[in-house]
Amino acid sequence: MRTSRRENAVWDEAYLQIIETLHRDGFYEGILREGEIFPDFMLPSAAGKLVTLAERLASGPVVLGFFRGTWCPFCKLMLEALAEALPRIQAKGAALLALTPETGALPAALQARHGDRFEVLCDVDFGVGLQAGVVYKIPPLYRATLSAARLDLTLRQGNAAWCLPVPAIFLIRPDGRIARRFVDVDFTKWPEPEQIIAALDGLR
Amino acid sequence: MELTQIRYFLALCRTLNFSRAAQECNVTQPAFSRAIQRLEDELGGALILRERNLTRLTSLGREMRPHFETMLDAAEAARALAAARRQNAPRSLRIGLGPGIPATPITGAVAETLRVLPGTEIHFTEAPSGTLVDSMLADGLDCALLPDDAALPERLNRWPLFTDSAMLICPETHPLARRNQCALPDLEGETLLLGDACGNFGDRLAQMVEMPLRTQRVRATAAQMQELVRAGLGLALLSSRASISAPLAARAFVEPELKRQVLLTAVAGRPLNEAAAGFIRLCRAQGFD
Repeated sequence: MRTSRRENAVWDEAYLQIIETLHRDGFYEGILREGEIFPDFMLPSAAGKLVTLAERLASGPVVLGFFRGTWCPFCKLMLEALAEALPRIQAKGAALLALTPETGALPAALQARHGDRFEVLCDVDFGVGLQAGVVYKIPPLYRATLSAARLDLTLRQGNAAWCLPVPAIFLIRPDGRIARRFVDVDFTKWPEPEQIIAALDGLR
Repeated sequence: MELTQIRYFLALCRTLNFSRAAQECNVTQPAFSRAIQRLEDELGGALILRERNLTRLTSLGREMRPHFETMLDAAEAARALAAARRQNAPRSLRIGLGPGIPATPITGAVAETLRVLPGTEIHFTEAPSGTLVDSMLADGLDCALLPDDAALPERLNRWPLFTDSAMLICPETHPLARRNQCALPDLEGETLLLGDACGNFGDRLAQMVEMPLRTQRVRATAAQMQELVRAGLGLALLSSRASISAPLAARAFVEPELKRQVLLTAVAGRPLNEAAAGFIRLCRAQGFD
């Protein structure tokens, strides 16, 4: 009991360091804004395809989210909620793209965990996340806590930079413009699917 | 962190001069310095030592530089690949295959690259690991699949792709073809063909066991080795990733287990054409095991 409380305290402190660092350095300023064009990209999918944003936008708006990976409990909850809301998202003509910096078998594992109901793309080496301005270098405490929990991100991401995306969901109009963004440097905070569905109105 | 901050920082790494780097990036020096400062705030330390007539990277700066180069490459590749889909330019994808590593596992990624970038010329080169490494460094190859026993210089990026184990190849009519799997005692009275170009499974086995093996060394590719097995010269141990067809049979060799890891390798920081960039990213985004 005491150990677990101490462990939680370690995670809490590490978590606060992330929020404090990203608030201080003006992180939000660098994130793509509403009204801006989300730059077209091509990324490999969990299903072994090369997918472009433009192709997906050709059939309607896109709900594009950045997720930390299979190991993140907050991403899991959000993706579960999105998978559940998917019929209503699709009813608005929109598609859901989930991006993760994890590589190897992990993107497919993430997709399979949610019943292969949406497409997972692998943001290899954070290329698209960097363009969107959602990637940060993990502060020392959180990195140490992940390492202590044997979460080797260098192995999972095939990249030794120790970076992660903040929780971010962009609603992109068919013309490539960002209609709405939901971002928070606090990785426990995600929008409600209801907010996303409501914001999808009139985007077609 | 922002794309522009990374661009600025990398320009500064190249020039080691704030005003020249700012000029290169088409911004005023105060804006340039502010961007670097904000990046330093996020990273929690100085990237650059600003001394009167000397600007140099700190150890954090030196540590982050290759990571930032990789990330910037990834951002540019994601953009360039999307744009390349609409242009028809001559491109080539040059893949090296180390000893006994078949192309079978990566053909899906090759086909997908061709679907998106039709007209790409595909080159496969089978050679010893050292030759492939030299060829990559000399820009004769974009990437190579190499076994984990290959000596890799630090300049090569490497990503584990799959584990590979040995399977025994025999004619369909051979008694062992009726088994589900094979082990060392099954080789009694048989001739095992050994070839450096076939993954060295046979050599590893010969070194591991005390039982004397009847062996025959041949200098042959895995495909030629299969011809020899077909002709009745002996049995061979080849990669379980190869596709073997009639009139040959392939059976898992389980005791002792002969395994190796196969890595995808490419030169760090080397600019790649879109076909090569797309192929490597496809491979990295997939599980092969």
